[in-house]
Amino acid sequence: MPDIAFLALSGLVIVSAIFALEARELIYGAVGLAFSLIGVAGLFILLGAEYLAMFQISVYVGAVVVLILFTIMLVRRESGRIVEEEEPGRLGRAGILVAGLIALAVAGAIVILVPISPEAPEFYGVPLPELGRDLASSYAVPLVILGLVIGATVIGGLTLAKVEREKKPNGTTQ
Amino acid sequence: MEPLSSYIILSAALLGIGIYGLVSKRNAIRLLFSVELIVNAANINFVAFARYSNPPMLAGWNIVFFSIAAAAMEATVGLALILVAFRLNGTIDVRKLNRLRG
Amino acid sequence: MWLQALPALQEILNLALRIITSRTFLEIVFFPGFLNVMLSAAFLVWLERKVIARIQLRIGPLYAGLSGILQPIADGVKLMFKEMILPELADAKLLMLCALGLMMLAFAPAAAIPFGEGLVIANMDVGLVYVFAVMSLFPSVILLIGWGSNSKYSFLGGLRSLFQQVAYEIPMWLSVLGIVMLTGTLNLTKIVEAQQRLWFVVPQVLGFAVFFTVALAELERTPFDLPEAETELVMGWMTELSGVPFMLGFLAMYTKLYVMSALITTLFLGGWSGPGFLPQPVWVVLKTFIVASVVFVIRGTFPRVRVDILLRTGWTRLLVLAFANIFVTVALMSIGLGSVWRI
Repeated sequence: MPDIAFLALSGLVIVSAIFALEARELIYGAVGLAFSLIGVAGLFILLGAEYLAMFQISVYVGAVVVLILFTIMLVRRESGRIVEEEEPGRLGRAGILVAGLIALAVAGAIVILVPISPEAPEFYGVPLPELGRDLASSYAVPLVILGLVIGATVIGGLTLAKVEREKKPNGTTQ
Repeated sequence: MEPLSSYIILSAALLGIGIYGLVSKRNAIRLLFSVELIVNAANINFVAFARYSNPPMLAGWNIVFFSIAAAAMEATVGLALILVAFRLNGTIDVRKLNRLRG
Repeated sequence: MWLQALPALQEILNLALRIITSRTFLEIVFFPGFLNVMLSAAFLVWLERKVIARIQLRIGPLYAGLSGILQPIADGVKLMFKEMILPELADAKLLMLCALGLMMLAFAPAAAIPFGEGLVIANMDVGLVYVFAVMSLFPSVILLIGWGSNSKYSFLGGLRSLFQQVAYEIPMWLSVLGIVMLTGTLNLTKIVEAQQRLWFVVPQVLGFAVFFTVALAELERTPFDLPEAETELVMGWMTELSGVPFMLGFLAMYTKLYVMSALITTLFLGGWSGPGFLPQPVWVVLKTFIVASVVFVIRGTFPRVRVDILLRTGWTRLLVLAFANIFVTVALMSIGLGSVWRI
């Protein structure tokens, strides 16, 4: 008897993902993406990675989705609607074919080639202190580099999105 | 417990949806959605393998940790680029954004 | 065919009966779950109006029930019967969905907050980050409400609320880092248990101050209630809501206040610890109401902060204080006082 939680969560992920791509309004698409990401966080909880699930919710849904919503609201024409793509046409059908083939190939390759035991080993939750110790010792260098890259990203993003204000002759900005 | 193959199939399906979005959509923000879906598919795969290996490997979780952070940063820069592209061209239709402008 | 369906039906009924009488379900519905939070949020509406009224030398609600205590219920019933008036291009479905979402998000952190020894709906090892993760979902919902109302007041209010809540998230995470360092766990039950000898408000004064300020900002309460500044933005992102969505949004704000106050009680004020003449849940609720009363008194006393000062405080000054708190905690631990709080 398949696990109801797994079925429900994977249903949420897939249906929201399809909705995110196919919704007419981009804002609805962003909401669909948010639901899909929350479903992925639920799957993390099912797999015993609770801290990761909270991390996913607070970073992805709490920050990235906000950014996406924000950008959608800024990228608008005066009429109020972004020019949306029309019916998929040839490119859409080709897309489905390509995507289906690749997904099938990947799934098939992993399932056949990797020796997988059907039983899940005993598992009593993520040992959080061990995770922290790992991050601080073995993963210290990537962590610091991550910090530097985040700083660079923030500075780069701000510089790119900056609006140049014209300066008046007496030096004050407009 | 679900067998591991269920998680792999789910992750491959999500990957498929993401690739479909990348191939057939022409709104730049939808392309970003698709990229995020693909990254999440990979993350699910990592966590599933980390859980089902014997003994459970903590490396899977650490990789996903960095993956989520890196994907968030990439979304940030991508969105900033979309903003700039919109300001310069008035559109975010990627088929029209095919010229390098000064 | 009906005869064949009968055993399956019986099994479903059995399952439903087992769920309803299970302890978790009772906890979710009655205490410390749904009913507790709902009634307490309504009580806080009344309490606020009374406290503010006394500060402003008037009386407040008086006629609905004993000293006006049924006033929130009367307001709720009235709002349920009101017509939902929206601007022409506003998205009614989106607004209703987001108002419901706000309510759900406001209730969600209550699942991790312990109201007694073992009286917690979900004793998660990551309870603290769960609460913060749920809090980080609020800005996007409020932004959607503000945008979906298709009105300039609403959108600006939604933007301001978004900026404010996002700006204060980093101090929120950092200010409790001292507590996590001292106890070595993110489990809220264990954090309360670690405070049996000394409440964390004493060694973590800075952290408490920062977290309290952050809570005021996250709850959009004076002196940070710019999204609701009545002389400027009418009612901020709630401007165009009316009737049931407004009731949901309004109640969600007070529910969030209750949950945040309960969180402050759990983290800094010792949770359920207190002399034994009152049962533990009563102590938690009592301390929560005291914290909420302090929030109300601050609302009646302080003027509003300008938006750029508000944002600057969140991004820079509170960050400095939070780091100072971390340094103080490290100093405490290095002298060896850290073992006082280890379980």
